[in-house]
Amino acid sequence: MTNHGLIDERDPLIRREPAVAIATLVSATGSSSKKLGAKMIVGRSGRLLGGVTIGGCVDAQVIEAADALVDGANGEPVPDARRVLSISLDDDEAWEIGLTCGGTLEVVLERVDPSAEDDPTIAAHRRARDLLAAGETAMIVTPLEPTGAAYTLSESEFANTTFDGRVFVDRLSPPATLAIVGAGQIAMTLTRFARELEMRTVVIDGRERYATAERFPDADDVRVGMPSEIVAELLATMAGGKNVAVILVAHDYKYELPILRHLLRASVGYIGMLGSKKRGAAVRQLLREEGFTDDELARIHSPIGLDLGGRSSAEVALSILAEVVAVRNGRRA
Amino acid sequence: MTAGSTTFRAVVLEHFKHPRNRGALPNATVSIDGANPLCGDRIRIQLLVDGGAIAEARFTADACAICIATASMITSHVRGMRLEDAQAVDGIWAEAALQGPPPAARQRCVTLPVDTLRRALRAAGGAG
Repeated sequence: MTNHGLIDERDPLIRREPAVAIATLVSATGSSSKKLGAKMIVGRSGRLLGGVTIGGCVDAQVIEAADALVDGANGEPVPDARRVLSISLDDDEAWEIGLTCGGTLEVVLERVDPSAEDDPTIAAHRRARDLLAAGETAMIVTPLEPTGAAYTLSESEFANTTFDGRVFVDRLSPPATLAIVGAGQIAMTLTRFARELEMRTVVIDGRERYATAERFPDADDVRVGMPSEIVAELLATMAGGKNVAVILVAHDYKYELPILRHLLRASVGYIGMLGSKKRGAAVRQLLREEGFTDDELARIHSPIGLDLGGRSSAEVALSILAEVVAVRNGRRA
Repeated sequence: MTAGSTTFRAVVLEHFKHPRNRGALPNATVSIDGANPLCGDRIRIQLLVDGGAIAEARFTADACAICIATASMITSHVRGMRLEDAQAVDGIWAEAALQGPPPAARQRCVTLPVDTLRRALRAAGGAG
């Protein structure tokens, strides 16, 4: 199961299941601990993947309903392959002690046969994975009616489609790309952590002995050459530069300056540079003397990363990725 | 002149901040890349040759200040020269132009652009 909650019928865990139910959070009033579209997969054997809430009694209700959908209820098969579950969060006991979240959740449950090539939900998730892998946005449309089946549209197809009845649309953006310049220890840790976040990583350096596939088994791509040219080529081939974060961890002005000259006037989602405040100020001053404006220079995150107080390469990598995520989610400029 | 002297540093800094001939030469006759695998300096020297003479010389680099200053100077120097005359540019010429030798550990920062230019000259001669 991917971070987007997409099911992959080739996954051995899924293949072992004769039937699964996919639960999708489609609406929430009051406070919701997970964003709409959160998914949970419940297998007939009892396996669980993901979750539609942080846990507790809500997920328990979803699991119970999912079990009934795949196993039948009271010994009888459930005829419908889907149902919409409405769950109140106003638990009486929790309300009395002030711990209730309050509100209502709606969860769509769909019964899926992972081994069936023509299962509509499997097909919808497969197409979503293919679109995301191609760098495109995927729109999974889930009808909120007892009948019907989920399907996936590209962004352009979605714009030209009209819908009958109530549907839930899950808009999935392609994974972010991290362009990591400087193939040192921090870069190695960044590629490991980024894999867990399902970010695509490209490691770039001018030194063949550093930028090797052996040193970066978790990287999607390792490139050796003139770093500023590689970054420019990478941005030119990406549909949306806003989905790219460039992380300068070479700690060397010979790479930083030519890359920043290109990036500061390009569309790119995040620019971070390793170094102290003093060093960052010196780099900005050099670029200011070349004609870059303060607004352009303010796009450089340096010192890089959220201040977690750590010094090890893993702690620094964590702080960098935390800042990238915060910027992507609009929590930091 | 001592290594890394005040004059040397001033010359390097001036050319680093205001490099001459930096940028791609789209219609180049030859384009040669050079690299220092240890420090990661990368440079490309491009020549436009017309009738055995260098009509244009430019460089692109992700490299240190000394390397960029040297590339700036040698590309300025060889423009207009005949290919065989430009072969006279070597490390000694570059150190004189920089008004001093680089620090001992930075010799390669000067020789990388010089060697790359000499390879470009040989390639241009062969091409011509």
